[in-house]
Amino acid sequence: MKKLFALLLATVMLLSAASALAQTKLTVWCWDPAFNIYAMEEAKKVYAQINPDVEIEVIETLSGDCETRQTTALSSGQTDTLPDIVLMQDNSGRRFLDTFPGAYFPMDGLVDYDNFATYKIDKFTSGGKRYAVPFDNGVAATFVRTDYLEAAGFTLADLTDITWDRFIEIGLKVKEATGNYMLVTQAGYADFVSMMTQSADFWFFDDEGHPNINTNPAVRAMVETIVKLHDSGIVKEAVDWSEYIASFNNGSAGSTIQGCWIIGSIVLAKDQAGKWGVTNIPRLDIESGTNYSSQGGSSWVVPASSKNPEAAVDFLSKTFGASVEFYQTILQSSGAIATYLPAADGPAYSEPHPFFNGQKVFEDLMNYSSKVPLVKYGVYNYEARDEIVNAIEAIFNGASIDTALNDAQSAIEFIME
Amino acid sequence: MTGKFRIKPMRVLKHLFLILVSFLSAFPFYWMVSSATNDTADIILGRILPGKHLMVNWNNLVSAGKIGTAFFNSLRNAVVLTFLSLFISSLAGYGFVVFRDKWKNKVMGVLMLSMMIPPAATLIPMFRMFSQLGLVNTMAGFMLPSIATVFLIFMFRQAAQTFPFEIVQAARIDGLGEFNIFLRIFVPVMRPSYSAAAIVTFMSAWNSYLWPLVILQNPDQITLPIYAGSFRGGYVLDYGLIMLVVTISTIPMLILFFALQRSFVAGILGSVK
Repeated sequence: MKKLFALLLATVMLLSAASALAQTKLTVWCWDPAFNIYAMEEAKKVYAQINPDVEIEVIETLSGDCETRQTTALSSGQTDTLPDIVLMQDNSGRRFLDTFPGAYFPMDGLVDYDNFATYKIDKFTSGGKRYAVPFDNGVAATFVRTDYLEAAGFTLADLTDITWDRFIEIGLKVKEATGNYMLVTQAGYADFVSMMTQSADFWFFDDEGHPNINTNPAVRAMVETIVKLHDSGIVKEAVDWSEYIASFNNGSAGSTIQGCWIIGSIVLAKDQAGKWGVTNIPRLDIESGTNYSSQGGSSWVVPASSKNPEAAVDFLSKTFGASVEFYQTILQSSGAIATYLPAADGPAYSEPHPFFNGQKVFEDLMNYSSKVPLVKYGVYNYEARDEIVNAIEAIFNGASIDTALNDAQSAIEFIME
Repeated sequence: MTGKFRIKPMRVLKHLFLILVSFLSAFPFYWMVSSATNDTADIILGRILPGKHLMVNWNNLVSAGKIGTAFFNSLRNAVVLTFLSLFISSLAGYGFVVFRDKWKNKVMGVLMLSMMIPPAATLIPMFRMFSQLGLVNTMAGFMLPSIATVFLIFMFRQAAQTFPFEIVQAARIDGLGEFNIFLRIFVPVMRPSYSAAAIVTFMSAWNSYLWPLVILQNPDQITLPIYAGSFRGGYVLDYGLIMLVVTISTIPMLILFFALQRSFVAGILGSVK
């Protein structure tokens, strides 16, 4: 009886082991059904042709919730609840990689990184190893109402490759001619703090990771520019996200400068079709200033606790890291713009965009994407940005730039101690 | 005649103030419900009147899936937790008053001190414990941490102090067991306190986010707040749909509150006096 039982048990174990071999199951956490989840589902279809033995389950999880769950699991050492693949905001990459060394699976040699924009890869590089397959593009651009420009006697070309001072000049004329704000951003200018600094090839930290705020020429130029924008009266300062979107959807502001994913919200105002154009962003008037930057975006990482990390990386590298066709599909249906550079050669990227008056918007954005300065992000990106936002608020209220930036520098040094 | 119908300025002022306050508290609800019937573009542009998009929002919500599962899970978790929690906490609160023990006030003091620890601080150790006990993705895992809350024990202890102790003694003399005294005499008399506690417990279970987020990770166990939150993650937000989900999620709370309103007010007053 005992022998029979042992035999049965062995058979069952063998069978289940065999079926486990045949069916590898990968779970994925990501958010946004119209964008990331959609892309993942498409990637699943592509991979089913390559390796039908892998089953992929996508579990919708908000980006903040993904981070809470990872922090809880990794801090408590109970990692078996983690999935095989997680989408992570680019700004959070360093924080997780540096806080939990060894918690993520390095992908060097498994993913062809030459095909990705370098500024993206660097956000998930730690200790010389690369830990993510870059996904959606956060390349920044100026999205502008061309009819407003024309009313003031300008064209899209007049707004291309310019400095912020020139942008303010044009903005004043546009406001005079149309009565509308030239630009809208959320009050506090937080998005501009990081976008402008990066556009001039600087970041809030130096190469060793020390805070670099009060002696940083780009930060100083950025703060001065934001004060000028604020004083000029051409900027609508929206109190929250929905007012921000409303300001360009209802035409009270003529442009926004943002990561390219904002397109999804711009095209909501169907009555404005044909009246929009896209160009690169204004530059800071310092030596290293460029007209390119990024804002937002995310990448796929694989927790080291995964039972099949190699399978997970193989799936990512053969879809998000290798398939031009895949990026064509997701661009057409969801507007998800790739950071996979060869994708730009696909026909969908050179299609004229009707909402933007026939401009080849995606081709232009991919072109900007390859020129974004590569800066080294730190662990405390958000904290440093928030301290600078506080400093700018103090300057608006009468503080001197020197004092405010010195305060921001010591505040972030204190946080990092 | 004259005295009855004269308009008193203080009274007008009082009513104007009350109208203003009622408007301030009711308007967000109205806006939420009317937004559920509008499409996103209209909501962003500030439309306040009800629109014709309710069915579109509803169909979008249904096609997003899982609204039924999330609603059912939340309701089940909240109802079961409310019953268990009320039973255990009121038993404890009652015990603190009725039985004599020289340590009981000190024990209560320690319990009260534990209220000072913010829940976020205990999140990681708790997750570690529950994960080692194999309670991740179980209802028990969700409920155990809040099955006995200090707040409720304290509330029932205060309520029990107003309870006439002579009745307990009389019942003892008549030979009724301790547990039956609690169940047959204390519970019926304390109905208002139970109503108040039920609302508070149900509401905190219904709204809880952080703990179910980490302990109930299986998508089949998703609760309504987490489900509703998932619509806030996109680059483009569907406000009409979000408002519909939020409206749906307030319905059980409204029903419960209106059903227990009378005794809720009495219960709160009772525990304070």
